[in-house]
Formats: sequence, C-alpha cells, structure tokens
Amino acid sequence: MSTQTNDNFEPKIVAFLCHWCSYKGADLAGTSRLQYPPNVRTIRTMCSGAVDPVYIIKALLDGADGVLVGGCVLGDCHYQSGNYKARQKMKILHAQLKALGLDEDRVWLRWISASDGVMFREVIFKMVEALKAKGPNPMKDPWNIWKTAKGGWKPKTINSPRGE
Amino acid sequence: METENNKLTAWRINMKVHSILKSNGDMFETVKAFFTRLFEEGVIDYLLVPQRISNGKTLTQTLIKGVDNLEGINPFAPVMAINSAKLVAQVGSVEKDKKVGVVIRPCEIRALIELVKLGQAKLDNLVVIGIDCAGTFEIEQWAKLVEESGDAVSKETEVLKDIYAGKTDYQEEDAPIRLRSSCQICDQFTHEKADINLSIMGMEDDVLVTLEQELAAKLGLEVEDEPMAHRDVLEDMKSSRTYKRESALDEFRDKMQSMNDMADILSTCTRCYACQTACPICYCRVCFFRTETFSPESDRLLRWADKEGSLRMPTEILLYHLTRLNHIAASCIGCGMCESYCARGIPLSTLFQAVGDEVQKKLEYVPGRSVDEELPVATFKREE
Repeated sequence: MSTQTNDNFEPKIVAFLCHWCSYKGADLAGTSRLQYPPNVRTIRTMCSGAVDPVYIIKALLDGADGVLVGGCVLGDCHYQSGNYKARQKMKILHAQLKALGLDEDRVWLRWISASDGVMFREVIFKMVEALKAKGPNPMKDPWNIWKTAKGGWKPKTINSPRGE
Repeated sequence: METENNKLTAWRINMKVHSILKSNGDMFETVKAFFTRLFEEGVIDYLLVPQRISNGKTLTQTLIKGVDNLEGINPFAPVMAINSAKLVAQVGSVEKDKKVGVVIRPCEIRALIELVKLGQAKLDNLVVIGIDCAGTFEIEQWAKLVEESGDAVSKETEVLKDIYAGKTDYQEEDAPIRLRSSCQICDQFTHEKADINLSIMGMEDDVLVTLEQELAAKLGLEVEDEPMAHRDVLEDMKSSRTYKRESALDEFRDKMQSMNDMADILSTCTRCYACQTACPICYCRVCFFRTETFSPESDRLLRWADKEGSLRMPTEILLYHLTRLNHIAASCIGCGMCESYCARGIPLSTLFQAVGDEVQKKLEYVPGRSVDEELPVATFKREE
C-alpha cells in the first residue's frame, strides 16, 4: 500500500469522459500541446449519463484518490438529456457519500466542451491541487479497513427484535 | 362498468368517506363479512390477503377465488413474510376484466408505486385495499410466541389489540416479542392513496373503512364521522414514531464518520444477496453482482491479491452495499425487509433509511407517495 507522505503525494485521478465533448476537449488539450499534470487516467464513455456510480465507487475503493466525470455543457448533450441524468446520479452519489461520512469532494462532475481544451487543463490542475491538499484517499485500503473494524455495530435507539 | 372500474384504480383521494363496520366481538368475522360483500357486489373477483397457515404459527399472502375460501384470513397480519409489492406486481395486469383486491400495508403500497414508476407493475385490474399498520414481527419470533401460547387465534387477537390500541410495550427491551426494527421507526403507517382503507387503530373490535362515497353506497355502508379515539391513536403513534425515527437516524449519522464505520456495520456480511432478494425495489432484472464479473477466475483473484497484499473473500462486500445504496437510496420506502432477511442481523434497514433520508431530502423526492411523480433519475429540471 501507499507509503507516500503528503509532501510527495501524487494523487491518482480516474476520469470518465464523454465521447462527444469532454474526451474531445482532452484531445484538444493534447493536440494544442497544453501542459497538465500526468495524474489523470482517462476512460472514454459514450455519455456522462452512462457512468453508473458503481464505476466511481469501484475506482475509489481500488486505488483512485479522485474521480472526474466529464460531460457536455448542459443543453449540448449529444443524446439530448444524458448529462442531466448524470447530474441526478451525481447528486444521489454525493448525498450518499456525505451521509456515510465519506468524502464526497473526491468526486467531481464538470461540463467540458469539445472546443475547450483549456478548461480541461484547468480542471485537472485544480483537481490535483485539491486532492494533494486532502492527501491519499482513505477508502482505497479495504483490507486495513476490515482488519481494524470493531464490528457488530447496531443502533441503540432501536431494541433489536432478535436480541443480541 | 368501465367507468366504475376506472374510478377504483384511479388512486384518487377525493370524495373518500368513513364507515364503521360494527363487530360482535370478533374482528376477523367482521372483515370476512366485508370481503364477502366486496365479492358479492362484484367489486373484486379475487383477493390477495394474508391467511393463517401451519395452525396459525405464521401467515402468508394467499390469492383467493370466491367467498368460500375466506376462513383464517387476517388483513392485519402481525407478520410480513415478504414485501407483497412483488406479489402484487405478479397479479397486476392491464386486462381489466378480472378484478383483484390486494390487501397490502402502507410500505407495500409505497413499494408498489415505485414499481409502477419503474415499469415493473401494472395497476389496472387492482383494487388496492390498504390497512393502517401498527407494525409487524419477525416471522420466526412470531411462530415461537404462538407455539408457546398454544392458541394461535387468541394470541394473535391479544397482541393485535395491544399494538393497534397504540401500546408501545412491544418495542421495549423486556418485551416477549419486539416489532421489527423498521416498524419501530416507521412513521408512515397509513397511505391515503389506497382505494379502500381498513383500520382497527383505536377501534376496539370494530373496523373503520375508508372508501369512495359511491362505493360505500353500493355496499350499503352508512357514512359516519371518523371516531376521535382512532384519530388520537394515529396522532400519538405518529409523534412517538417520528421521534424514535429521528433519534435512530441521528444516532446513525453521528456514527458514520469514515469507511471504518461502514465496516463496523458490515463486518459479518458474506454477500449472500438475501437483502437484494428481499428488496422490493431493487430494480435490475439480473443483478450486476450476480454476473461473471463478480465471480472472477483464479488468475484475476491472484493478481488482485498481489496488488492488495490481503484480499477479503468473498470480495467486493463494500462495493456491493455502496452500489445497492446508490441504486436504492432515492426509492427506499423503509419496509426493512433487507434487515429481516439478513441472517447475520446486520442493521440494514437503519443504514438504508438513514442514507435514503438524506438523498431524498436533497432530491426533494418522497418515494411511494404517488404514481404521478417521476423517479429522480428518470427526470430532470433544465433550470437549477
């Protein structure tokens, strides 16, 4: 497991980018020779609305420090409403992570258009900076989590119907 | 006939009236007589209703044809073997010629409404007969209680009278039997969208029926005021349950500070899928977690172990629950079947309701309220 300290910590970002806008935006950043940190691993999806939160959670549990979902600017979705649906899914995920005491700010949703390589570069810069400030993702070490768990927690407010 | 049919299934709340079914001391006979009337007047052709089996040690939903098979039914069954929304989804159809009365609890009605929104249930041939529900017990605990008492029907009557009079004894630590966890914190024990509603809350032996005026006239029922005693029990129960619910969810939110707290709850889970099987609104026809993806081949597991050092087997327990939470949270109607089915006694209903509560607040969505509202993931506002 990662033994990096916060000083030399390089966050890993998994980016789900939609084929029509954000991925093209990232492409444009590349062809325009815009320099940005190499912390991001991109995965092309057909639409931001097709990113089931299971993929995001899986990435966070398996070593990512942050996850970026990139979609078309609202109103510009190739499939009319995919990015609105992505926004609804993300709302649920954020509320869920918050309710569980997990850090919802590790998951970003950004609208990056195909013509906006500059914005892609900026988002990556900002995200790397924010994740460096946060330090490594504590969710990515499940074995340690299981090993140190106290186990058997039950709410005291409710008298368990099956006893202890 | 056509218009009448539409009215019954229109989920309307206007023009509802109350009527009291007077009892001669046996509420089971009273409800039996009421269902007989429904059959006789052609309001229903079939009835899905809980009925005693195993000498009264347990009750199960039964699909009944005709008045001759009503012996041993109890709409206020003290156990809930399954969330009946799944069964109702099987009998529901767009063919309206055979009408099925379905006796289900408020949480089951809510689940049914969510299933309708998911396109997995049809209501056109149904007459939804709701009940005001004071709660249910774990099925094996109930069987034990009845076994010890020796007389199923009188024990059932005694316990029902207690819980429907609003007594909270059956939640206490020293009670011989306790309500299911989710029932203890349920404050939505009535559902206004039922076509016909039956209630024995604060009614002694009588049964309060709420239905459309036209139907009441057809059945020859006298319109009466809602009894005060009934109202009082409802209101008391609402306030005490709401308080308990908030306390339990607050306790949970205080607990959850990191992933370790989630592991504290789920430490004994073996990903057996009982919670997923039990959940009425876990909507995928084939669960992603039951596919090949989650039964990896040896070399993949070994490579994974190489990377992690130690790998908990079976794998992906956290991912399974986090994903199920994500998919269900907006629609979780709090029936608690996940927890009842869990062989390890993991407090899943509190987990799902605490997370669901937060998600639903954020989306401004109340699951199971009305079929007219859309699922949050299927809808969106352009301006926000």
